Amino acid sequence: MPIRQKVFFLTIAVMLLLVIVELVRRRRLRVEYSWLWIAAGLTNVVLILRYDLLIELTDVVGAVIPTSTLFFLCILYLAVLSLNYSVRLSTLTRQAKELAQEIALLRAEREEGYGASGAPERERRS
Amino acid sequence: MSQPLLVVMPARNEAANLPAVVAELRAVWPAAEIVVVDDASVDGTADVARSLTCRALVLPLHLGYGGALQAGVKFALRRHASVVVSFDADGQHDPHDIAVLLAAVEAGADLALGSRFLSADGYRGGVLRQLGRRLFAALVRSLTGFALTDPTSGLKALGPRAQRLFALARFPDRFPDADALVLARRAQLRVTERPARMRASRNRHSMHDGPRALAYTFNMVFSLLAAALGREADLEE
Repeated sequence: MPIRQKVFFLTIAVMLLLVIVELVRRRRLRVEYSWLWIAAGLTNVVLILRYDLLIELTDVVGAVIPTSTLFFLCILYLAVLSLNYSVRLSTLTRQAKELAQEIALLRAEREEGYGASGAPERERRS
Repeated sequence: MSQPLLVVMPARNEAANLPAVVAELRAVWPAAEIVVVDDASVDGTADVARSLTCRALVLPLHLGYGGALQAGVKFALRRHASVVVSFDADGQHDPHDIAVLLAAVEAGADLALGSRFLSADGYRGGVLRQLGRRLFAALVRSLTGFALTDPTSGLKALGPRAQRLFALARFPDRFPDADALVLARRAQLRVTERPARMRASRNRHSMHDGPRALAYTFNMVFSLLAAALGREADLEE
């Protein structure tokens, strides 16, 4: 890889890593969600510095040109990432469901103190 | 029964139907405590329920039928109810059919389902729906050995063990019909069926109609398999 390309892509990869670390530092990104991103950033850096690894990997998987290996890795990464999101979404859905049920039950318990009509409840709301 | 009957009624935008359905229920079961689970309705279902002196469980988020039913079952569990009956708010169930379900639970069943196909008359749904129900019944039979004719029935009586199963965190909350039975089998619950007369829903749009029916069928079959192949840990608290 020409040195000009190397420097250009290395700058981008390092900037990406810095953004991720900064997001974690500012608590905008939770630590447990950041490792997939950090792994991606580090892979970038490694592949730029050691292009021969990509060529070797291309040989191993039986691809013809390194570019296809790279694209394959990108798509695989994105697929894993969205699968990861689906799992987290399922957890969040279940948690939201349980919270909603708990709120309904607690509200009903509170209303119980006011009798079945719930009249004081409505007065307070208006 | 020493305790008053506890009836859970999941309801979404049923304010118009509720007075008639509750009145009919009260005519047969005057002492029943009716818990209307308002699934984030926008038509004041909860206020109507309260004005009818029903207990209202108001969900702040729309959870769907399964989540609403589960909320009602959790309420029953906290009350240590010996039996809880789920009853649809759209008027398709007949309160007279509750008695045989209660008798079945008292006789030792954990879960008693009302089946329209064991009943001599009443509404049975369109051709497609009947076909779908046959498919579920066959699947349920092959997966559980329960020979149930109407596994997606919304009219059920739940004893304490069934209540605990229905309240589990991982309980299938989207399609708590046939897949619930698979879980019930794996948890070794005693499940039985009694005849129940069904009427056409008061709503023009029922939850299983229209183009959604296909997606429903697909999801239902899929969640059936998921329930059958799930881990044992899913059956524990």
